[in-house]
Amino acid sequence: MTMRKIIAALAVALGFSLPTQAATDAPAGPPDDLDALSLADKAPSNSAAPARPWRLFLEGAIGRGKLRASGDNFSLYRGSIDFRYDEHVAQQLRLVFSDRLDGVASDGVPPGDNVNTLREAYLSWARAEDQIFDLGRVNIRNGAAMGFNPTDWFKANALRSIVDPDPAVLRENRQGTVVLQAQQLWSNASLTATVSPRLARSADSATFALNAGATNPSNRYLVAGSYKLSDKFTPQVLVFGGNDDPFQVGLNLSGLVGDAVVAFGEFSAGKGRSLVAQALNQPEANSNQQRASVGLTYTTGFNLSLTAEAEYNSAAPNGDQWNLLPAASQQQVLVTAQALQDLPTRSQWFLYASWQDALVQRLEVSGFLRQDMQTSSRALWLEGRYAWERAELALQWLAYAGSSGTVYYAVPQQHALQLILRIYL
Amino acid sequence: MHSPNVPVGLAIALRFITLVASLGLVAPVQGGEDAQSILATSDEVRNPPRPFAVTVRLLEYRNSKLSDENTLTVYSKADNASGQYRTLVRFVAPERDANKLMLKNGNDLWFYDPSSQASIRLSPQQRLLGQASNGDVVTVNLAKDYKAELLAEEDTADGERVMRRAYKLGLSAVSGDVTYHRVEMWVDAATSRPLKARFFSESGHLLKSAYYRKYQAQLGRERPTEVVIIDGLDPSWVTVLRYSDYAWRDVPDAWLQRDYLPRFKPG
Repeated sequence: MTMRKIIAALAVALGFSLPTQAATDAPAGPPDDLDALSLADKAPSNSAAPARPWRLFLEGAIGRGKLRASGDNFSLYRGSIDFRYDEHVAQQLRLVFSDRLDGVASDGVPPGDNVNTLREAYLSWARAEDQIFDLGRVNIRNGAAMGFNPTDWFKANALRSIVDPDPAVLRENRQGTVVLQAQQLWSNASLTATVSPRLARSADSATFALNAGATNPSNRYLVAGSYKLSDKFTPQVLVFGGNDDPFQVGLNLSGLVGDAVVAFGEFSAGKGRSLVAQALNQPEANSNQQRASVGLTYTTGFNLSLTAEAEYNSAAPNGDQWNLLPAASQQQVLVTAQALQDLPTRSQWFLYASWQDALVQRLEVSGFLRQDMQTSSRALWLEGRYAWERAELALQWLAYAGSSGTVYYAVPQQHALQLILRIYL
Repeated sequence: MHSPNVPVGLAIALRFITLVASLGLVAPVQGGEDAQSILATSDEVRNPPRPFAVTVRLLEYRNSKLSDENTLTVYSKADNASGQYRTLVRFVAPERDANKLMLKNGNDLWFYDPSSQASIRLSPQQRLLGQASNGDVVTVNLAKDYKAELLAEEDTADGERVMRRAYKLGLSAVSGDVTYHRVEMWVDAATSRPLKARFFSESGHLLKSAYYRKYQAQLGRERPTEVVIIDGLDPSWVTVLRYSDYAWRDVPDAWLQRDYLPRFKPG
């Protein structure tokens, strides 16, 4: 630094006014601020390309695991193509198309299969900015909770291929429902009415089947309304029913508790059969059933979000009822609960953690624990995922633990490890 | 932290200035200035008076190396009742985040992922940690949420390292809902441009420093097109925000709620 500049800086500090030009190189602040400004001066000036209307990625996975019954090891190889397109095709007309093809080779349980899932294919017409109509297969998803969503009625039989047990991925990779849907919006409220017609009676497991029987097995309706009572509180009320589905009412709530905690609650009530009766195809009259998930998400100052969720399903067996079931029936209840995405036993705890930029930037570590409170068994899943600009590498570990006869002991796999590479094209 | 990029002579001069300032030899505060009006006028420089859209490119540096890059489009509209800005942030890049949305309406914060169709309520802490917290720095109506006090009228170097006569304002939160409980802001005495600001937590920790720079004619007046943000706890963490493609854009009230997020698809 020249003597003139030092004098200029001193003069400024003393309150003298110098011509702007003379002080051009004067300090802007502490040394760190000057570093930052110099860095910004050199930052690249090219602009990012606008977002594309489509997203396409390829995913490959290899895995190893152990089967519970035989104690044998199994291997798994998977290749997937995932495509999503979302664009205006006319002034007020939007086309959404979303599809995924999974090719799995495995000597485990279940064995590998090639499955294409047409997740969404619909047209959306905005008659006005606050009035919208949809026609086609739509992934209709409701629910404030994370691990179990009692008001997400269209989740039943929507999973064709389970490649990842993360609840967020299960919501993404499922097959939508063919609907005619209308939504009216106001500045503080919204009302959505949905009609889902019966298109087929049974599911179709062929690789490229549209599989309408899985998610359009009967005529159904859903009406959902929300009203913003305050900045921190917007409850949602839902009603659902159909030819084969008794009337259900649902409620979604979420709110802030301080700066770092979000509290949420999700409830549904209505007539229905027990899970055991559904799984074993037993005759049973409908009775009052309630389902609920309540929880908290707390975010720490170092980017770790922790969720604790208590889950309840009156239609599912309690511990004594579960223990009375033969092993084959327990398996059947578990398979049915998985297909319906329902809670397999009366009550569970779901704990979820997600740590972004964990120790190193772009590394996300996440995991969940499902603790069954009726039979003291658990499912544990951990994932480390590192992201580059156009690729992600993930390592996942899944384990089911519990003593013989418990819920998660009934899962065929004991544990599995998977390495996954995703490349965005 | 003392980076090797800083010339030793400059660092010495800075220490000199600090010493001189601590002896009280800075310019005295002029009487009769209305700090709140200064702040309000400065807000007008940053905040267009009608609903608008702007593209924000975030360049994140760690230890002087470019470590991450994001591009967002921000749709913003002032609330008639509170005067505060409500914003819809759409992620443009990188590819894995493209078309995800964040809605900010006071402390009503929602994140939407089009892949899973999930709208998730966020806590202010979650927003603060993400890059989105920087994305809406441009549209904060400070005069609505803070009581301003004129601390000094002094010469200070702006983000271009040009000396400016500035009002140094001390801002105290008047509502518990604000992200930053205390702010120090330097406003150009001649042009009312915000020059730089320091944002503090409730416990008094410096959360971030911001330099408003590269003023250009945008939406009817000279506005900053770049903000340099320095993390308060880790000064080697620097985020450069570049604002481009400013445009008047109608933002209907119906857009600014959770249930509209799956519908949001700007043409």
